[in-house]
Amino acid sequence: MWRHAWLACLLQPYLCLAAADANPFVAVPGAELHSALPLGKAQSVRVRAFLLQRHPVTSAEFLAFVVAHPQWQRGAVPAVLAGADYLGDWQAALDPGPLVMARQPVTRVSWFAAEAYCEAQHARLPDWYEWELAAAASATAKDARADPAWRQQVLDWYAHPGGGAPGAVEHGVANVYGLYDLHGLVWEWVRDFNSLLPPGTDPEKFCGSAALDEQQKENYAILMRIAMLGSLRAADTGRLVGFRCARSLEGAP
Amino acid sequence: MKRGGAAAAAILALLAASTGSGAGLPGDSLYQLHAELTTQQAATVGFDVYRGHPTLISMFYGSCPAACPMLIDAMQVYESQLDHAERARLRVLLVSFDAARDTSRALARISRLHHADTTRWTFASASESDTRRIAALLGISYRRMPDGDYDHSLLVTLLDSEGRVLGSTTKLVGDAEFAAKLRAATQIVSRAY
Repeated sequence: MWRHAWLACLLQPYLCLAAADANPFVAVPGAELHSALPLGKAQSVRVRAFLLQRHPVTSAEFLAFVVAHPQWQRGAVPAVLAGADYLGDWQAALDPGPLVMARQPVTRVSWFAAEAYCEAQHARLPDWYEWELAAAASATAKDARADPAWRQQVLDWYAHPGGGAPGAVEHGVANVYGLYDLHGLVWEWVRDFNSLLPPGTDPEKFCGSAALDEQQKENYAILMRIAMLGSLRAADTGRLVGFRCARSLEGAP
Repeated sequence: MKRGGAAAAAILALLAASTGSGAGLPGDSLYQLHAELTTQQAATVGFDVYRGHPTLISMFYGSCPAACPMLIDAMQVYESQLDHAERARLRVLLVSFDAARDTSRALARISRLHHADTTRWTFASASESDTRRIAALLGISYRRMPDGDYDHSLLVTLLDSEGRVLGSTTKLVGDAEFAAKLRAATQIVSRAY
């Protein structure tokens, strides 16, 4: 039935607004982050408190956006802002079709499209450090990266991300901030994806274990993500590349 | 009645979408990006300011100690290999990573320092989000370092008069293939707009 959700959106816009409310922004307190990214002489980076959406943006949420912003419908977007495969698994520009679940993360969206979506929510994409801080948490700890069980669980997904479409959001447990699915469903665009690899870096070399010290080996899953995001172009779309939005908190420490 | 009105508005919106934006630009034109630039003359122009001309485009920052002055010099060397008529058709756009420090006044100073032909060269800065979009569009990676410097890739891109990429180079000197593309692009008489 949800396939006709766009009609409902047209006639009763509040239905779509309600859909947006189903992915609220959750506060992540500021912290010192020991990033997997090389920081030069510094040991850590200060991440200011921010808001992050509870789960990756879903197909239903993205459908409401393209209904309201027709220039982002498949077929209307210039190739330079979204590649040929943009929303390529949808049946039609305004119909995800029977194989795409309303509650699954939207994928095959370019960085430009993800940015435009967030802008329409008066938000932005998270910066890498913000995403990394949020994604370091388990259900019980803010920084679970040294916990072997948690690390193994994360690594298992990166090793076997699955061949099909991503599953529904919020199926597992929330992390300590109340955020879902930072690992296990999709990769996520970040605002500064084009800052992640030092200029001229070969992603394969960056990812290769020879280049990593012990501390970084513990973060191997995160480094894979950095290498993957850093190797993308902004118009690229990927079968497992989605996103969620963030907001700054004015005057946050 | 209210519902009918909403549906009609929606249909109009859908019709408007099919006409698209960017008036007649090809889908692979970089000028599909709507970004606002502030120039060394403190003018506000669009990212497509040089639409209608073959254009060299790159990014830099003014307080850059070595790489950026070399980049600007290199672009001047590439255009010096053109004859007078070819060069007259070419435009050059340099967008700063560092809007906070590269004010119009700072950009004008850099322009003077390099004796840039301001009838054909524009030094500009943009908002943080537009800067990031332009870099993403060009495939330039950059990162602001804690000391205020920027770690960034050096890339010069050649656009045709409609904003399509004809070629690019990471070599500051001696990319013969790129130089040949530049000459070919400037030999074609551009359509006027």
